[in-house]
Amino acid sequence: MIEELRNKARELLKTKQVEAVIGYQRASDGLSAIPCVIRSEEEAGRLIWDAACVYNLCGYLKDFRAKKLGIVAKACDVRAMIVLISENQLNRDDVFIIGMECCGVVDEKRARVSGRDGSDISSADKCKSCASCVPLAYDCLIKEKREKAKVSEDADKDKYEPVRKLEAKSLSEKSKSWKDEFKRCIRCYACRQVCPMCYCPRCVADQFMPVWFSKAGGIEGNFSWNVARAMHLAGRCIDCGECERACPVGIPLRDINRKIEKDIKELFGYEAGMKTDAKPFLACFDKNDPEDFIK
Amino acid sequence: MTKFIKKEDLYKLLNSFLKDFEIIGPKQIANKGIFYEPLESIEDLYLGELFAIEPAKKFFLESSECLFHSGFLDGKATVQDAPLPDKRRIIIGLRPCEAKGLILLDKVFDSEYKDRSYINNREKSVIVGLACAKPDKSCFCTSMDGSPTGSRGMDVLLFAVEDGFIVEIYSDKGKEAFSSLGKEPDEHQNKTLSAYKQKRSELIGKNFKVPGDLSPIFESDYWDKVSFPCLSCGVCTYLCPTCHCFELVDEGRKMYRCNDGCAFSNFTLEASGWNPRPTKKERYRQRVFHKFDYFKKIFGENLCVGCGRCIRHCPVKMDISEIVSNAPSGAGK
Amino acid sequence: METKNIYLPRLAEITDIKQETPDIKTFKLKLSLVYKPGQFVEFSVFGEGEAPFCISNSPTRGPGIECSVKMTGKVTQALHELNIGDTVGIRGPYGNGFPVENLKNKNILFVAGGIGLAPLRSLINYCLDRREDFKSITIVNGARSSNDLVYKDEYPIWEKAKDTRLYLTVDCQEDNWSCMVGVVPRILEQIKPVCQDSVAIVCGPPIMIKYTMPVLLKLGFCPEAIMTTLEMKMKCGMGKCGRCNIGPLYICKDGPVFSYAQVKNYVS
Repeated sequence: MIEELRNKARELLKTKQVEAVIGYQRASDGLSAIPCVIRSEEEAGRLIWDAACVYNLCGYLKDFRAKKLGIVAKACDVRAMIVLISENQLNRDDVFIIGMECCGVVDEKRARVSGRDGSDISSADKCKSCASCVPLAYDCLIKEKREKAKVSEDADKDKYEPVRKLEAKSLSEKSKSWKDEFKRCIRCYACRQVCPMCYCPRCVADQFMPVWFSKAGGIEGNFSWNVARAMHLAGRCIDCGECERACPVGIPLRDINRKIEKDIKELFGYEAGMKTDAKPFLACFDKNDPEDFIK
Repeated sequence: MTKFIKKEDLYKLLNSFLKDFEIIGPKQIANKGIFYEPLESIEDLYLGELFAIEPAKKFFLESSECLFHSGFLDGKATVQDAPLPDKRRIIIGLRPCEAKGLILLDKVFDSEYKDRSYINNREKSVIVGLACAKPDKSCFCTSMDGSPTGSRGMDVLLFAVEDGFIVEIYSDKGKEAFSSLGKEPDEHQNKTLSAYKQKRSELIGKNFKVPGDLSPIFESDYWDKVSFPCLSCGVCTYLCPTCHCFELVDEGRKMYRCNDGCAFSNFTLEASGWNPRPTKKERYRQRVFHKFDYFKKIFGENLCVGCGRCIRHCPVKMDISEIVSNAPSGAGK
Repeated sequence: METKNIYLPRLAEITDIKQETPDIKTFKLKLSLVYKPGQFVEFSVFGEGEAPFCISNSPTRGPGIECSVKMTGKVTQALHELNIGDTVGIRGPYGNGFPVENLKNKNILFVAGGIGLAPLRSLINYCLDRREDFKSITIVNGARSSNDLVYKDEYPIWEKAKDTRLYLTVDCQEDNWSCMVGVVPRILEQIKPVCQDSVAIVCGPPIMIKYTMPVLLKLGFCPEAIMTTLEMKMKCGMGKCGRCNIGPLYICKDGPVFSYAQVKNYVS
């Protein structure tokens, strides 16, 4: 698979179909991956592909506006691109999607917490509820030659089970548990910076006229920030899990986003990034919508 | 002064301190990691091999702290100092890199213009460190003139040995708290300690020399290449034992000092809209230069203790030690 | 013994407010302060925030201090809404100030653009109050338009001072404008100030400084004889918060006054 990927990158650069290819290279620890940009055929040998290729690389596309780029993308990454395209943040013609058939990526968070030494490579949580190994859209597909990953039989059930467990708790239990989580938030904004859907040039959290989410004293600002970000992602989050992975203090951010996505799925039958021609859900209206104030 | 103390005796001693001291130490939070917290029960104290995610810096340079408040009295404006906490503290479990980080922060906050709350926190704390039994592969303290058994900045340093700790006491504060306990270590224990100190530095995988002067390569396109993965988040800054940039924010007529970082895109954004560091290239270069060039030129040491947190927790695995050690030649010796 | 709180401001009452231009006001404060021309203070508008402003009146023209503030963001907007009698907080003075001793017995060329005249006004009036200590004084002051010129009522006084020349310029010709027209660097090329025994002090927007420096060098001023005030976002004023760090320098502590020789490697 790796050679196929490198050859594809070389071909794209040689024929000038793209100006650069965004992919993964080996990190300094010899195990993890680090995002990289390849601009010449000679550099294509740096590209790697394995279970360490966890990151969603879509965020780097905005570094190269109005240029044609190749991008190495898993199924979850392509879902993010589908949402970005529907929100006019990305032109489909500006990306050559090198689709990778994915067997699942490592659970970096668990590895970090337990002191990973490379021998324990268990699959990330999000992969357990993944509906498909193959991206929904691609310009070329690099197939997995090894034994296919076991696809979840009931992705919905697996994905939303932790949310149902949370929903079953009492209000005071939920309140205490979230306060315990948010008091650790250090407002590093790694969750925002790593999220492909957080692309606002000036985030509401950075505004100071007025200050919307105070950093000074108390937990209220942390609560407001995390909840507001989840609300801004409503109907747009594709559960790539990057926010939770990037969070250095282990806040279960996916739980908040999945709760909102579950509600939207149950109320409206909509899931972000699952249809290449879908319009942004909460930004559109339909004549058949039940509310009549708009008619 | 060196003593040996059994683990249960150490815990008993710390328990006895609970009424007079706040005891802050590493605590294991299930599925999240190790965090320094004020301990209500000494049983929660974790003195194992894993490193705390956030360094103990936040107990000295707090992440958000009220400095003063303003108000009105009889129609006239007033300003008032925020009160300083009075309780003494024992901060236990710090690694040598974190204690050295405090020495570096002293150069900024306990020099010209002394920062009263930082100094108060320093004065009220007894630092009981824990020598590193198993450095991580991201550690590089030895390249930063440090060591997994270093005593710089420590009042007391614990070395985990069979069924207890060897305790080295360096300061009067340390003597006051710990001299009543334990016994002189025996010959076997002394030998174990020497071997321990010798072996630890060998466990550090990374080893490199920081270039003496990075300014010749300030304009190099090396910084475009290495800064590419950077997300401009604040993880490396906030988890760093030596990073100390902050902002002053008035909220509700209270002036707060909140931590901040040069990685953020709006750190140097001016009211006019001009930003001298508009892209991640300028910002990442500033991080590297401030730590490994500018701070050294002002204070004589690198602003880095080689703890490896920025490498371990960077969401995209950027490695500042590789970036500095691979810097192109053209940098002075 | 508790250390003094370095972040606690002193209280100062606003005793006068002058509208210099549509978006610049000069605030006069009741505060006794020992300072040098070129130093700045951290101005606290309680409930809004803090911002640094240079002291624009000379220490020979006390009592009280003056700060000229252009309305640009949160703190300055709140400040512009204050009235005479309101109280603000002042921390300082900070910064190194102009090296007045090095200016003695020299010809001084002041080059200012827009609000950049504010820190220079402090030094200009200081020099005029100690006129015998300095040789000729030349002031070149430019702005986008005549509406953006500050301290207009001081110009006649400066023009009348001994061995002092004032050149005013705006970017484009206007009705009823009889002074020079053109950007400041072009005006310098026209008037050709003498570089012998001279010091040039430049203060203005970054773009003006960028194009003025090569002109001064060409006129024969050496980098050590050109002074400028650098500006970056500043918060603490004491070299701690890291915001104004540029190279191994902190603008608040090692500056804001620098010679061009000191900073030419750090400003592109």
